[in-house]
This record gives sequence, structure tokens and C-alpha cells, in this order.
Amino acid sequence: MELLNPKDVRISAEAGATPCLVGAQCGECGAVVFPRLPVCPKCKKRDGMTEVEIGRTAKLYSHTIARFAPTGFRAPFFQVFVDLPEGPRIFSLVGDDCPAESGVLEDGMEMRLVVEPLADTDEMRAIHTYKYVPAACADERRGDAQDA
Amino acid sequence: MRDVAVIGVGARPTGRLADCGLKELAYPAIWNALDDAGVGVDDLDVAYVGNSIAGLLTGQEGIRGQVVLQHSGISGIPVINVENACASGATAFRGAWLEVASGAADVALAVGVEKMFVDDSARTISALSGVSELELSQMGMQFTTSYAIHPKINLKARMDEYGWTLEDFAKPAVKNSYNGSLNPLAQHRKPRTIEEVVQSRVVVDPLTLLMCSSISDGAGAAILCSADMAKRFTSKDTIRVASCVLRSGHYKLRDYDGPDTATLCAQAAYEEAGVGPEDLDAIELHDAMAPSELMLYERLGLCGPGDGPRLIDDELTTLNGRVPVNPSGGLCSRGHPVGATGLLQIAELVTQMRGEAGDRQIEKRPKVTLAQNQGGLLMGQDSAVYSTTILTT
Repeated sequence: MELLNPKDVRISAEAGATPCLVGAQCGECGAVVFPRLPVCPKCKKRDGMTEVEIGRTAKLYSHTIARFAPTGFRAPFFQVFVDLPEGPRIFSLVGDDCPAESGVLEDGMEMRLVVEPLADTDEMRAIHTYKYVPAACADERRGDAQDA
Repeated sequence: MRDVAVIGVGARPTGRLADCGLKELAYPAIWNALDDAGVGVDDLDVAYVGNSIAGLLTGQEGIRGQVVLQHSGISGIPVINVENACASGATAFRGAWLEVASGAADVALAVGVEKMFVDDSARTISALSGVSELELSQMGMQFTTSYAIHPKINLKARMDEYGWTLEDFAKPAVKNSYNGSLNPLAQHRKPRTIEEVVQSRVVVDPLTLLMCSSISDGAGAAILCSADMAKRFTSKDTIRVASCVLRSGHYKLRDYDGPDTATLCAQAAYEEAGVGPEDLDAIELHDAMAPSELMLYERLGLCGPGDGPRLIDDELTTLNGRVPVNPSGGLCSRGHPVGATGLLQIAELVTQMRGEAGDRQIEKRPKVTLAQNQGGLLMGQDSAVYSTTILTT
């Protein structure tokens, strides 16, 4: 599978394993960042950042529906910020099976990480990245996968 | 550091200028500034040329400044190319200011130019996304989106916390559309009502089309010289650069609760100029989306948290209010040719301070003015570039 940024996403081949993001944690002050950085942005300590698996779940911080798209993307589509339990607040797209309609997302809702094509367009179909979907939606997906 | 004066400015009408490439756009702005200053090309010691996305959109990736200036008859002098996202123009101005302030140059030219109308607007949107850190733009993050949901703005949270409404978001756009209707240089010259703004097409919820600055072709220029030399070139009032502050964004973790970088930048500019927000007679600020003007009121120290809409309700920031904001029409009406905007702001303020603004002239000629320009988006929840310049007569 071709990943947009292979260093940022980890997909385990083990059965039942869920994908996660790869961030970095400062050994000095404990700050967690995503994507990884070589220097802690908080305490500025160098070379004390170690890799951590993060972001399997998240809480929706803010969301909108973009009605126009840059090249390779298809509007309307959700654009969101999510809060990871480990600390980072990051930008994300939302999984394709979640229709970009008002009322579908609500700030504060529980989200789960999925890995899927960047966009359902010729340019982007082969490139995979992390996205988030509402937890209920993720459970449904997993059920479908088990049925299959 | 020496005192620096702005002795000439030039701007050209912004809009969809199909027959103009970068060179054709910049030429009239540059020559208007030279003529305005009474400066000849041989008097110039150095030039800074700001541009953001012409590399991607026109293919002229390198030496844009030299190309543009040679077309205008300027060659031989040092030319510095400046890319700093939507604050490229302000950054070019700062470079020219620093050359003169330091004594390295006596007369400097600053130019900002941008060509945004191309064959396909999706290309322009993509190019604009490219002034965000790659990890954001690759994921399809757009600038308009950031002005709705970015943690430093989050309009929904503003609505919840301060009771701001869609009508409040529309107020700066309405005010600025009136100013723009009086400005022959503006891209959009139709005065709008709250209803029109709120009911226009949704671009990125909750932002509507008329709350957003639009794609634009344009150029602005300024001539700066040592203040003690100003009268050699022009008999017009000497306009002094009281401060010119450039800052970059910080990596902010989620628990960051300190001041916004725009606030820090403005505070530094006030301190250096020896003035405060209460001394300002006019402001040009970066209303890339209308609600951001409301937030910038707070960040420039004009009001407390959440009080932005009241400044417009009380007509404090209208054309003849206590401190008019965006007399040019701002980014939403004058247009936002991104790399030109910082210099269009300076050009407007100088024109107002000299009493040369025609129909949009502020009745009480401003003596202390402020230009605020910003751009780019970083991971770590902050914009990349912030600029605040204070001018005084």
C-alpha cells in the first residue's frame, strides 16, 4: 500500500491490530508532537525525542465542509481538527463512508483512525493516508470486514 | 538606525487582469511609485520584490524580481526576491526599510506583485495551499478552511463563547464593501448588505463567498529613503516608518494559553513606535476572511475578547469612525493578490495620510496609522508570518 507519509502512519500486519500514527515524545518534559520533530518545541531539548504510537482514537475538536477542492480532491468534503488523547491537536480529513453533510459530525464526538485513499479521484486513489471517522462508523466497518 | 521615510507609493487597480502577467502587473505600480516620489531609476540603490505563488502558477520559479524590474527599466542594482506567503509584500517592505535604516542604502524600492487568475481556479487553490506546511497541504487543507476551524480561530467556539452570529461575521465585509465602493483601485465595488453577505453561497461552513477575500491580480510598490533626504525628492509631507516588525509563528502545543503571535507582533510595533492602539488614526489589516477582522481588533488591542462586532455596531471602525479600519476596502473588497497585499496596505495608508484618497478620504487626515499583514500556516497551530508596520507624519 502506498502511503502519503510512510513515516507518520504505522499499519501492523498482525490480526486485529489497528493502524496508528507515529509521533514523538520528549524525554525531558513529556510533550508529544505529530509529526515527529528532532527538537522538543516546548523545552527545546535536542535528541531527547522518542517515537510513540498515538492517535488510534481521537476527539473531534472542530469541523467544516469545504465546498471547493484543490486539484486532486473532490468537494464537498469534511476538513477537521481532532484532539489525540496523547496530546496533539491535528488537521485531518474524514473517512469516505461518512457523507459530507451537516449534522453528521458533532464537535467532541469520539473518532477512530482509518487508513484509506487520500481522495476518490484518479490522482489520489492509489495514495493512502490517515483519516478519522466517528467511532460508531468505525465499528460498523469492522463488523462488515468480519462478516466478509 | 536611521529614520526612514516613505516618499512614494504606487498601486494599480486589482481584479481579473487577463492580459497581464507578472511583469505587466508590476510595471504601473512601480512607475506610479517612482513618479509619486520624484525618484528616477538611477536614484535607486536596492530593490525587494515580494511574490508568493507565481512560481507554481506561471512557471517563473526563480529570479522573479529581476524579471519584473528589468521589464520596468530597472537593472544593475541589488535585487532581493522575497517569498513569505500572504505577507510577502510586507516582508519586501521591511527589507527595503532595513536597507535604508541601516545606512546600507539611501533609496530603496519595495514591490509586491501577484498573478492569481490562471486557466483553472483549482490550480490557484492548490498553489495557495502550498503556502501551508506540506503535511497540511498534502492532506487537502485549504486556507479558507483554516479561517473557519483552525484552533487559533475556531468560529464555532467564538459563536458558543461570545454569542457571535453569522450576521456578526458579515459586518466587516459590509463595512469594507462600502469603503471599496469608493475606491477606484478596488476589485469589488458594490456595497453589500448583511443579508447579501449571509445569504451568499457557502464556501466553507460557516464562511460565505462575500465573507472571503477573492483571487486577484495586482501589484503595489513603495519608495523609501532616509528621512533627512526626503525633501530632496518630494515636497509632500514626510511619512516616517515608526516601526516595522516581522515575526514568525510558534509551535503551539494544545495547552498553549499565551498571547496570539499577532498580539506579540503588534505589541512590539507599538513599543518601538512609542504609540499605543488608542493613538491610531487608521488601520489596514489582514481581513482574509471577514470574521478575522473581528479577531484582529482584539489582537491589535482595540477591544477586549469577543467585543469585535460592537466596534462596528458603534461605528468606531467605519470610514469616519474614531479609528477607520480598511479604508481601502480591505482584502475582501480591494482584493487579495497575496504577495502584493502588504504593499497595497502601505500605499493606502500613505495616500490617506497625505489626504489624497479622493472619495474614500478619511475626513480627519490620519497622522498615526498601522498596517497588519500575515500569512502561511505551520504545523503547531500557528500562522507562519506576522507583520506590523506603524507610520507617522
